[in-house]
Amino acid sequence: MSFTKKLLLAIGIAFIAIQFVQPAHNKSDHALSTDILKIVNIPDSVNAILKNSCYDCHSNNTVYPWYSNIQPMGWLMANHIKQGKEALNFSEFGSYSPRRQLSKLNAIANSIRDDIMPLSSYKLMHKNAHLSTNKKTIFINWAQQSKDSLSGIN
Amino acid sequence: MMKKIIFGLAIAATTLAACNSNSNKSTESQNRSKDTQAKSQTDNATITTSSVADAKNTISIKEIVSTYLQLKNALTRDNTTDAATAGTTLEAAFKNFDKTALTAAQKKTFEDVEDDAREHAEHIGKNGGNIVHQREHFVILSNDIYDLVKTFGGGQVLYKVFCPMYNNGKGAFWISETKEIKNPYLGKAMPTCGEIKEELK
Repeated sequence: MSFTKKLLLAIGIAFIAIQFVQPAHNKSDHALSTDILKIVNIPDSVNAILKNSCYDCHSNNTVYPWYSNIQPMGWLMANHIKQGKEALNFSEFGSYSPRRQLSKLNAIANSIRDDIMPLSSYKLMHKNAHLSTNKKTIFINWAQQSKDSLSGIN
Repeated sequence: MMKKIIFGLAIAATTLAACNSNSNKSTESQNRSKDTQAKSQTDNATITTSSVADAKNTISIKEIVSTYLQLKNALTRDNTTDAATAGTTLEAAFKNFDKTALTAAQKKTFEDVEDDAREHAEHIGKNGGNIVHQREHFVILSNDIYDLVKTFGGGQVLYKVFCPMYNNGKGAFWISETKEIKNPYLGKAMPTCGEIKEELK
């Protein structure tokens, strides 16, 4: 066998080997009482945006694309999801202190306004995650209104 | 020779893959063993000299405030590195604050502030080099510190200073230890923008 053939074979073996290491999926059946749905009012238009553009990395439920079963894609995704949930988890929004909830809504509005979120790498793979100017306005206004309603209660 | 290399590669890849699934666990246990090491070192130190661990547990509101003021002063100088250092120190100060002496109501206020403020302090600590972002977090952090001082006192005379120009005319306030205006939001570009709104004793 030539060197190239051997190298390809080695890469092939390595590729097959890593397929056996599947990261645990980010899936939870029961809705938590801390879910943002239970904390603030979410109109359908905003709910659609949350589902399509946010929840894959910022909730306890990810909709997995087919390539997530191929490594190392699945590992990369697991890592992104872990980081995303650490920064903000809509499923556990209610467990944040009242002050932190306001702070988070503020940060949510800012990151949408500044195009920091959704991540461009995510938008590349999820075409419907992209937010039009109109959707951005709807979303930012919702964050603002939620902030006002929460600070009214607290 | 070539076979050995290929065999080695395959083994390496498999091991790497196997390690990945365990990586979280192993780093966790590594951290834990580091902690234990550090702890036993401090314990040894305690016997001979004054305790480092004790000092950690007696972080007061005054120390939290003074670390905040260090951060504020770094921002007035446009010094993003010093601001980051102070941010990290501030996060640690919140973490090590001893809440046992607080009443139930005080504890509730403190934890509400802590949950939020720690995150802002952490972000400021991690964003050395991005002073614009540090200042965004400093806005809400200042709000947290204000409420903390209002509830617990700051251990010194402090001033609430407001600059109406920052954030496209939305304005923001900060807490200062001096009457002299040095703006942490606009820094050297506009050091004197600000007006004392309240004296906190």
